[in-house]
Amino acid sequence: MGKKEILLSIVFMMISITIHILTYQFPQQTVALSPKVFPQFVSICLFILSVALLIQGIAGVKKNSEQKKVQPMFYRAFILRLLLMILLAFFYTQILPLIGYVLATPPFLAGAMLLFNEKRWFRVMAVSIVTTALLYILFRIVFKVPLPRFSLF
Amino acid sequence: MAIIQGFLYVLHPLRFLFLFLGVAGGIIVGAIPGLTGSVGIILLLPLVYQLDASTAIVMLCGMFCGAIYGGSISAILLSIPGTPSAAATVLDGYPLSQKGEAGKAIGVATIASTTGGIISTFCLMFIAPQLARFALKFGPEEYFALMIFGLTIIASVSGKSLVKGLIAGFFGLLIATVGLDPVTGYARFSFNIPNLMTGFPLLPVLIGLFAISEIFIQLELIDKKVVHYKQKIEKILPSFQELKNLFPTIIASSFLGTFIGMIPGTGGTIASFLAYGEAKRWSKNPDSFGKGNILGVAAPEAANNGTTGGAMVPLLSLGIPGDVITAVMLGALLLIGIRPGPFLFREHPEIVNSIFAGMLLANVLILLLGILSVRLFPRILRTPDAILFPAIFTLCFLGAFSLNNSVYDMSVALLFGVIGYIMRKNSFPMAPVVLGVILGPIAEDELGRAMIIAHGDWTVLFQSPIAIFFYAISIFSLLSSLKRQFSIHSKTK
Repeated sequence: MGKKEILLSIVFMMISITIHILTYQFPQQTVALSPKVFPQFVSICLFILSVALLIQGIAGVKKNSEQKKVQPMFYRAFILRLLLMILLAFFYTQILPLIGYVLATPPFLAGAMLLFNEKRWFRVMAVSIVTTALLYILFRIVFKVPLPRFSLF
Repeated sequence: MAIIQGFLYVLHPLRFLFLFLGVAGGIIVGAIPGLTGSVGIILLLPLVYQLDASTAIVMLCGMFCGAIYGGSISAILLSIPGTPSAAATVLDGYPLSQKGEAGKAIGVATIASTTGGIISTFCLMFIAPQLARFALKFGPEEYFALMIFGLTIIASVSGKSLVKGLIAGFFGLLIATVGLDPVTGYARFSFNIPNLMTGFPLLPVLIGLFAISEIFIQLELIDKKVVHYKQKIEKILPSFQELKNLFPTIIASSFLGTFIGMIPGTGGTIASFLAYGEAKRWSKNPDSFGKGNILGVAAPEAANNGTTGGAMVPLLSLGIPGDVITAVMLGALLLIGIRPGPFLFREHPEIVNSIFAGMLLANVLILLLGILSVRLFPRILRTPDAILFPAIFTLCFLGAFSLNNSVYDMSVALLFGVIGYIMRKNSFPMAPVVLGVILGPIAEDELGRAMIIAHGDWTVLFQSPIAIFFYAISIFSLLSSLKRQFSIHSKTK
């Protein structure tokens, strides 16, 4: 409990306030259930719980104020790796419909393997190609699931 | 008898093959630390989506039962429970493995899991239809009250912090409000974006919250010391005398697990620890527990597989999940077009019978696969993370894409993967989010129907004795969760 809880409680408070304000734009129903009732109820509950988390967070900061935390180097390296992984995944989601599954997946898999600390290049290449082929067989041939395909037109 | 029809259906070669693949996949998923039955079911969904509903549900049941058993393998060999419900198995399973008796420990875990699964499926077959027959009397107001009770499970699965668990649950409910309102058809929070009008698609949300967030967590653990089991596995089956001594505990633990599984908000972890505690209490030699007593493997394994059938009772007959994995099962069933509840028994008895037969046969397959492939397990556990998780990552995206052939769904999966990761890193449990996402729309739908029938009169919600009963047990469930939280806090102080 501490600063992170305070930050997250503020995030959840902002979400609940935004949702609550947005519900006032919804139309009012007289007979059946209005579309605003459920989101308003949920946003109010979320706000109250966020306040409870904020109080817990403030109490936690007071308790832990004497403990100094040092961010180790490996943690910073992990954050960089995580951001690269998210970026790689985002890039994959954007490129997949453009160049198709067969062309987009091996580089994505290779990138993900490198980020998972696989340093043997031959293994990276072999596994990314074989896994792409296996998943293609599983989805396209066994279960007849359509996959994105590259097309010039 | 109807169950024979179920058997005939499942024993069709192609369906039996899918059941076999489901069980085998479940065992592998359960055995690998970091992957749980919930992740397995979510990853399987895009594939089974193309199959007919009965075949799909049979395969999902196989995955469900297999994964609960699979958790015991890494618990015994590596002292790392593959699934949370195998945590109690570590206590005596790993000491047995260190003594060179890993084969026997896995053999007993397999027999106990199979027995627990079969007993609980028979209980499911007996109890669920009766409960469903009673639930046929429910109207929208009773269903709404039932869903409120289902949502109070959020408090039970909140983990260490009730506040964080409840925030996660309400966040899940908020996610579910995006898109068309079930009563009026008004597009809420869609900002005129066509994709948002139908709300966040369930499968990509589940893939993100459970599977992709797990991959990000595993990325943090790549520098951890990898533990491998290097000893040779020998002597798998216990002697007849040993089995004779074990069976009273296995049978009692199976019934205990089934009973615990039926209570929403409990699940395999609680059942296995309770069964372990009872086995120790009734043992003539309680001091040997924790040092490699085979009863300490048999009891939790019978109990956690006992919860499989037990947890399916409220799911199938009332449409409310008993724990996290059945919440995911509920989502899976809804996605393949099956709405669990009393009408399922009346309108689709063939699906119900397929589930019963599928679960019984899945447990028989667990016995066969567990005994025959026991020597392969150390190899499965040696799969490098650098191969496993990138492959699962790709599977996640393909799964998200395949349901609607939509790139938007892939982006949703990634977005919820990041949200899930941030929440999990800050000790927000994922189970309440999933319960909120799945049960929220059903609760709102039933509330809307009740309001239409009653012409907007809110008092209708409190007029039915059945509804009042569900509100009362909801309050009781919340109070008992609060009491547990206070006792945890007072113990930590």
